[in-house]
Amino acid sequence: MLSGKWHDRLASLNLGLWLMAGVMVLLAVGSFVGGGEGSSINDLPLLVWLKETPITAAWWLWLTIALLALLALNTILCSIDSLRRKYQKGNLLLLIAPQIMHLGFLFIALAHLFSAWGGFKQSMVVREGSVIGFPEGAQVQVVRLQAVFSPKGFPTDYSGELREVTAVGEVQTISPNHPFFLHGFGIYLKEVQLYPEPAALIEIHWEPGAPWALAGALLFTVGNVVLLAVRRGK
Amino acid sequence: MKAMLWVAGGMYLVSSGKRVVFVAALIVESVYLALRGTELGRLPLIGPHDTLVFFSTSIGLLALPFIYSRPRKGTDLSWGIGIGAGLFALLALLFPSFAMPLPPILKTLWFELHVALAFFAYALFAIGAILGGLFLINNERSLLDLQYRAALVGYSFFSASMVTGGIWGYYAWGTYWLWTPKELWTSILWLFYSLYLHLRLKGPSWERLVAWGGIVGFALTLFTYLGVSMLMKSSHSF
Repeated sequence: MLSGKWHDRLASLNLGLWLMAGVMVLLAVGSFVGGGEGSSINDLPLLVWLKETPITAAWWLWLTIALLALLALNTILCSIDSLRRKYQKGNLLLLIAPQIMHLGFLFIALAHLFSAWGGFKQSMVVREGSVIGFPEGAQVQVVRLQAVFSPKGFPTDYSGELREVTAVGEVQTISPNHPFFLHGFGIYLKEVQLYPEPAALIEIHWEPGAPWALAGALLFTVGNVVLLAVRRGK
Repeated sequence: MKAMLWVAGGMYLVSSGKRVVFVAALIVESVYLALRGTELGRLPLIGPHDTLVFFSTSIGLLALPFIYSRPRKGTDLSWGIGIGAGLFALLALLFPSFAMPLPPILKTLWFELHVALAFFAYALFAIGAILGGLFLINNERSLLDLQYRAALVGYSFFSASMVTGGIWGYYAWGTYWLWTPKELWTSILWLFYSLYLHLRLKGPSWERLVAWGGIVGFALTLFTYLGVSMLMKSSHSF
């Protein structure tokens, strides 16, 4: 258990404010030195990227993670304190709503941790007839690729038809914003070209944090809506 | 058609406290936005021209409850917001209005929700900044309360925008998060308003700092919206 002095420090509003400010400054630094969209940071699970990247390039992210861990602890302690102090003293909804938002924030932080630990991404070029292999022996075949271009040559629509080889599966159509999920893996169609032969850029994603992020987002939104409702007119 | 935008921008600027002129400017600008949407066959939410018009219209629309909640003598608010909405409407005229086909990745309701909610939030942050400035000048407590409301509702819109953006990202790119400058600055802005809302718990002696917080928040908003999109390489670039 935390001693009283440490507990008071870690559960203080001031610490929370400073930690938020610190994370903001570090993220701002990261936006300039982090390498942008083309950086390999988006191609690897975050913890793998951190392991492979020299500390001189990733220091801002290490510090951000450290401050976020402290902020998560601060959030938990502040929420418990707030519930303890104000329970039975006022409007229960007004008391609970911010804590539900805090819980949502914690779920989202946890989601990032899970994705950083076990996320997976792979890009590949496929043609009609190509077979994509998955762990545990599952296989998916690319049956057909289609694309529609505007008169100026911009792609206005494209799609692909996939069929699971190892099961009696129906043909599934994938297109932008409509991936195909197989045993937790998402198959995403990124680009299609028709000449010299139909070919597509496909990405396979495994995002273990996604359900946690969604749960966190829902909790945060519910808490937020309740807070707005109980604060209406005040 | 762009003449309507000149008219709306001009009317906002000269509305100087006349609420009826402000409302007339909002109607003209909304008609322009509706015509532009009809021309494109979708919500006009792509590129600096369309987003600036959407932003300016959002400021005008979301300012109405604030303007009408003030006593009639309090014309300073509609004057300040009129200048803000007018400047962004006129700024939109500096940029060409494209009518290119929508990239397939943007053809989803999640994208429209994500962007529209973000601009509603930006508009409320703009209103909050003006209210903060007026509080620092007039020292009128009700202005700070209104700033808090603008920030809280804006923060709610912004959080919802991040949620819808995450859902869209998951279906479009396979991940709800990418390490890009736009995502980082979006998180910075969200954290800043989280900090602002918590700062208010410090009590009355922090009121002036809270008011300044609303102003700094809008500066961050502008950088997140225009600065990052124009100066840094990102999937959100114009």
